[in-house]
Amino acid sequence: MERLYIVCYDVRDQRRWRKLYKAMHGYGEWLQLSVFQCRLDAVRKLRLEDAVSRIVKQDEDHVLIMDLGPAESVQVKVKSIGGSFEPVRNDAVVV
Amino acid sequence: MTDLPLIPVRMLNEHVYCPRLAYLMWVQGEFQHNEFTVDGAIKHRRVDRPGGKLPEQPSQAADDETRIHARSVTLSSDELGLIAKMDLVEGEGAVVAPVDYKRGKRPHKAASGVYEPEQIQVCAQGLLLEEHGYSCPEGVVYFVASRERVRVPLDEELRTRTRNAMTELRRNAASGCIPAPLEDSPKCPRCSLAGICLPDEVRFLSRTPVQPRPIFAARDAAKPLYVQTQRAYVRKDGEVLVVEQEKEQVAKARLAEVSQVALFGSAALTTPALHECLRREIPVTWLSYGGWFIGHTVTVGRRNVETRTHQYRASFDDGRCLDLARRLVAGKIVNSRTLLRRNWRGTDDDASAPRELLTALREDMRHAGRAPSLAVLLGVEGAAANRYFQNFQNMLREASDDLGFDFSTRNRRPPKDPVNALLSFAYAMLTREWTMALSSVGLDPYRGFYHQPRFGRPALALDMMEPFRPLVADSVVLTVINNGEIRPEDFISAAGGCNLKDAGRKKFIQAFERRLQQEITHPIFKYRINYRQLFEVQSRLLVRWLGDEIPTYPVFMTR
Ligand code: SF4
Repeated sequence: MERLYIVCYDVRDQRRWRKLYKAMHGYGEWLQLSVFQCRLDAVRKLRLEDAVSRIVKQDEDHVLIMDLGPAESVQVKVKSIGGSFEPVRNDAVVV
Repeated sequence: MTDLPLIPVRMLNEHVYCPRLAYLMWVQGEFQHNEFTVDGAIKHRRVDRPGGKLPEQPSQAADDETRIHARSVTLSSDELGLIAKMDLVEGEGAVVAPVDYKRGKRPHKAASGVYEPEQIQVCAQGLLLEEHGYSCPEGVVYFVASRERVRVPLDEELRTRTRNAMTELRRNAASGCIPAPLEDSPKCPRCSLAGICLPDEVRFLSRTPVQPRPIFAARDAAKPLYVQTQRAYVRKDGEVLVVEQEKEQVAKARLAEVSQVALFGSAALTTPALHECLRREIPVTWLSYGGWFIGHTVTVGRRNVETRTHQYRASFDDGRCLDLARRLVAGKIVNSRTLLRRNWRGTDDDASAPRELLTALREDMRHAGRAPSLAVLLGVEGAAANRYFQNFQNMLREASDDLGFDFSTRNRRPPKDPVNALLSFAYAMLTREWTMALSSVGLDPYRGFYHQPRFGRPALALDMMEPFRPLVADSVVLTVINNGEIRPEDFISAAGGCNLKDAGRKKFIQAFERRLQQEITHPIFKYRINYRQLFEVQSRLLVRWLGDEIPTYPVFMTR
């Protein structure tokens, strides 16, 4: 079962920040400066946690992974001002 | 000693957990991750860094108290027929203990604090260490999540059980006969190979009264990336595949979420992107604009040789060929009949499909099921197909309306009208999907039972997709026409043929994907499953039938 997550982070060091920012693109959609929205199954969630903990320094940085609920059924109530918000999907990509 | 390879101690653990699992992994080379194995791999990586050294020979001095703390130690012994990579070996002088790291907490259900497979595993590691001159009165299992060390005394009784397990595993491997699945075991839903093994389905089809649990359908599947726009260019950017057209990004797909890449026409893929796909075992298919298969790039291929051996053997057996072919054709006829019955667009006073037609198709199905030879079967199939396509028009929105779709007969190479163009494209998509499904389970898509092998024709895919032509391909064609998703202006006619334009092809692929994602209730197993997963289950059931584990291949038929 896929679940929806918000991942946000405080990373002190610019190089680590860039590295994390780049790695996060493999797991979800970039929302804002240090915030991503992800839709993950149990395996990808484990891989995300592993990738994050290998990049950050635990005594300087701080990463939050917030679980919003099951991706198919959760009703995310978001008030979006000055921009738009779309829950991340995992569909076949056809171009 | 036998000429069997050394048993990896890890396999001994799997064997004690479930003999079928060890056979699948060790003999057949099957593997698949799930959340438990991924978690285990991550936790193990942290302890897997080599460090400290185990002396070649234990010290002979009785009073030697040199501390030993060696990580990631690999030892083997031809004498024992074993090989192991041990997480940690610790001790003093000549007395050591193997330490095995386990993800998770110490099981409170197991009386000794350690389950049988882990006991056997550390015991085998101890035997190996003793073979190399050390003395091992006990082993240790360390539970990472609860940070508990549990000691396992290597007594005579455990040593005997360990040796017996080794003999049994060797005997199984040499027999060439896969052990039966566990019976309704709580181990199965946690087993990462459940989707390959199909424990409940195999037992059910071998006439054991169990209702299959939806283990397979509980999995989330990654999704395909289709690139069919002209001059598209796919490259890798970190963990993402980026699709560009005229240097503009037009789409992206996260590699971790991509199950396959399909490239139509001139779409290009960079070498780094291709390497990454291969590394992650994401198959890449190359297709003409019309969706015809040109090639298929995969890693060195499935290792399960046994599966292919069974397939070839059965393919030379006329009786088995005919048995499977009859079932597949009968299945196709039943499903065509169902499609006609459900989608018939009659007039007000005659809304349903003519009874004579349905009866005739039912007769065709009976004949197919009893056909004495492949040649007769081919004739029956042809007759039924004629009947079906003569009535196909009755499932389309009226020809007289603004859509202007008209269908009289099935034609191809090249298709001459839009409906035929859609049908041809849909069958090409279905062929591709089945070719992928079959090769991903280790079968050879080119060796069929009904369709004869001709150059470059994926005969087995053509066999297996028969029952799904109406259910998936024809049904998508009906949907896109009847919903007005695809219109006459989406086609282009040239050189006596009719083809979809880019935009139309894209809409069609999207509709086809929606169909594959659609959930249905499995008529035999009763659980919910989508079509794409169903193709995999059916492919794996074919493997089980070819290996004589189930008496018949269950063709999928809707009611
Ligand atoms: S699913 Fe069950 S029977 Fe099949 S290999 Fe796994 S544990 Fe064994």
